[in-house]
Amino acid sequence: MALLEVRDLRVSFETPDGTVNAVNGVDLSVEAGRSLAVVGESGSGKSQIMLAAMGLLARNGTAAGSVKFDGTELLGLDEAAFNRIRASEIAMVFQDPMTALNPYMRISDQMTEVLTLHRGMGGREALDEAVRLLAAMEVPEARARIRMYPHEFSGGMRQRVLIAMALLCRPRLLIADEPTTALDVTVQSQIVRLLADLRSELDTAIVLVTHDVGVVAGSSDEMAVLYGGRVMESGPVESVFAAPFHPYTRGLLDAVPRIDRDDERLPAIPGDPLSANRLPAGCPFAPRCPRAVARCHDERPEIAPLAPGRLAACHLPLEGAP
Amino acid sequence: MNAPLLSVRELSVTFPVRPEGAAPWARMQALRAVQGVSFDLDPGETLGIVGESGSGKSTLARALVGTVATSGGEALWEGRDLLSMAAEERHRRRRDIQMIFQDPLAALDPRMTAGEIVAEPLSVHEPGMARGEVRARVAETMERVRLLPEHIDRYPHEFSGGQCQRIAIARALIARPRLVICDEPVSALDVSVQAQIVNLLGELKRELGLSLIFISHDLGVVKHISDRIMVFYLGRAMEYGPAGDLVRGPRHPYTRALISAAPVPDPAVERGRRAARLEGDPPSPLAPPSGCAFRTRCPIARESCADHDPAMTGYGDRHFAACPHAGDGGRQDHI
Repeated sequence: MALLEVRDLRVSFETPDGTVNAVNGVDLSVEAGRSLAVVGESGSGKSQIMLAAMGLLARNGTAAGSVKFDGTELLGLDEAAFNRIRASEIAMVFQDPMTALNPYMRISDQMTEVLTLHRGMGGREALDEAVRLLAAMEVPEARARIRMYPHEFSGGMRQRVLIAMALLCRPRLLIADEPTTALDVTVQSQIVRLLADLRSELDTAIVLVTHDVGVVAGSSDEMAVLYGGRVMESGPVESVFAAPFHPYTRGLLDAVPRIDRDDERLPAIPGDPLSANRLPAGCPFAPRCPRAVARCHDERPEIAPLAPGRLAACHLPLEGAP
Repeated sequence: MNAPLLSVRELSVTFPVRPEGAAPWARMQALRAVQGVSFDLDPGETLGIVGESGSGKSTLARALVGTVATSGGEALWEGRDLLSMAAEERHRRRRDIQMIFQDPLAALDPRMTAGEIVAEPLSVHEPGMARGEVRARVAETMERVRLLPEHIDRYPHEFSGGQCQRIAIARALIARPRLVICDEPVSALDVSVQAQIVNLLGELKRELGLSLIFISHDLGVVKHISDRIMVFYLGRAMEYGPAGDLVRGPRHPYTRALISAAPVPDPAVERGRRAARLEGDPPSPLAPPSGCAFRTRCPIARESCADHDPAMTGYGDRHFAACPHAGDGGRQDHI
């Protein structure tokens, strides 16, 4: 059984301009100790899937379908039960490391609070554990720096603090939503490596939500490509990159300018990403797809297996060969 | 070879700042945002400037368009110093140098239509132009950036991020500049749209013979669009050279680290890469290290690096690095 099992998840928001369907029937699963990258552009619904799973949707949002963690249904769970799971089993790290920390509290207080509350530790024991985790996240002079306030840390150091905090209760699943997007590239590569090391040491499963296919290539086992609130393609990272089935995946991979290649012209995808309040009847990618035929505009393709471990939602999938 | 369009020599920008947490009456400190930067920009050339946050790359751009004061050096526009020329001449030059910014929606006035936004520079630089001619120029310019004629009467909020950036580009082009400075023009856009805008800038440059200064933190994008690249770190140029040479055969240890940190969308490449990763964060520009700015994170730093700021050393044709220890080990594969 998968550690996290998302089935037919739908998320919608009631807004003054009508209902916005952000997630439209998504299936995902993460095995214990494995890593899944959820890739998509803005408006693809990638963040809302994870917020729905964690019971953190905005007030005007509703989730339907099923999200099971280790067999327990999370959707519709009451706040107290959710808090227990969020504290000890699933942790989340967000993009902006400044807004996620309390600016008025020392790092030491923010970290030990979690340990005394959820793991019943005494003050000294909690501090030692917090220092140990900060050091594991390669925060230099952790014992001295833990006494500092968030503004005294750089962006990269704050993100390390947040990951250390997320790990305090030894969660079985860490959800990282664009954890490196606000960081400089040299710091980004440090954080990506730390996340990878951590997974092998602590056996924590990781869901990495990102727009950056370059980050996916170096970090994850499996990937799911989202567009218009649906999974367009999923499978093992190596195999999807080597030979994507979905024209959107192909387009996304080709559009990234690569330092190891000389392309005269970038193969851009024409048009703009979908806005979630006007979804087409057929395939959400059809209006921008170079292969689209009439059927693609009329009839929505179901996601289906095309090769071992590989799924894609496309009437005219690309040949699997690279 | 043509004379350069723009020659920047030893340009410096210093901001007076009060250290964080200091009393209001405390003495101001000098933050050296840009320090002794020199480069030449040929007509029709694209110079890419790459660096991390706080490296001074945007400050350099603002100094060139005159929105921040310089503290030293010169910027010669066809031989005339932009920084010391009289206000009237400077105003005329301003037409030749236009700028586009990172956040296209924030750069456009929400109460003006796309057509009005694009036309506005003409009211400054061509005040006598007849209305019919203005309309024709607006239509022509909007077509050039692939906006549709029906877009002319819409407001910025009705456009996507990519379309807003096209409007900003049209506005920059309408007065027929010779240099466009693009400060992170695609960083706020989705990858698929980013490629459209990068391609558009490349086409415009070729069609109109424009020079571009393209500023970005993304080495992949910079390498794609640039003829030459300058790598910035803590307000200083670390390396400067032809784009292909610099990416394939980087000399400065910082450039090498930047290249090996840039993610490549290919698992086979990513997993086989050499780990030339940097430790730590860039130092504060208020308290830069003595000597070489990069030495505190440099894998090949030695004691002498603390003694003096290294000068640019030539490594082959138009390729320079500010490191005396970069060696001549030939081309190395850092990708």
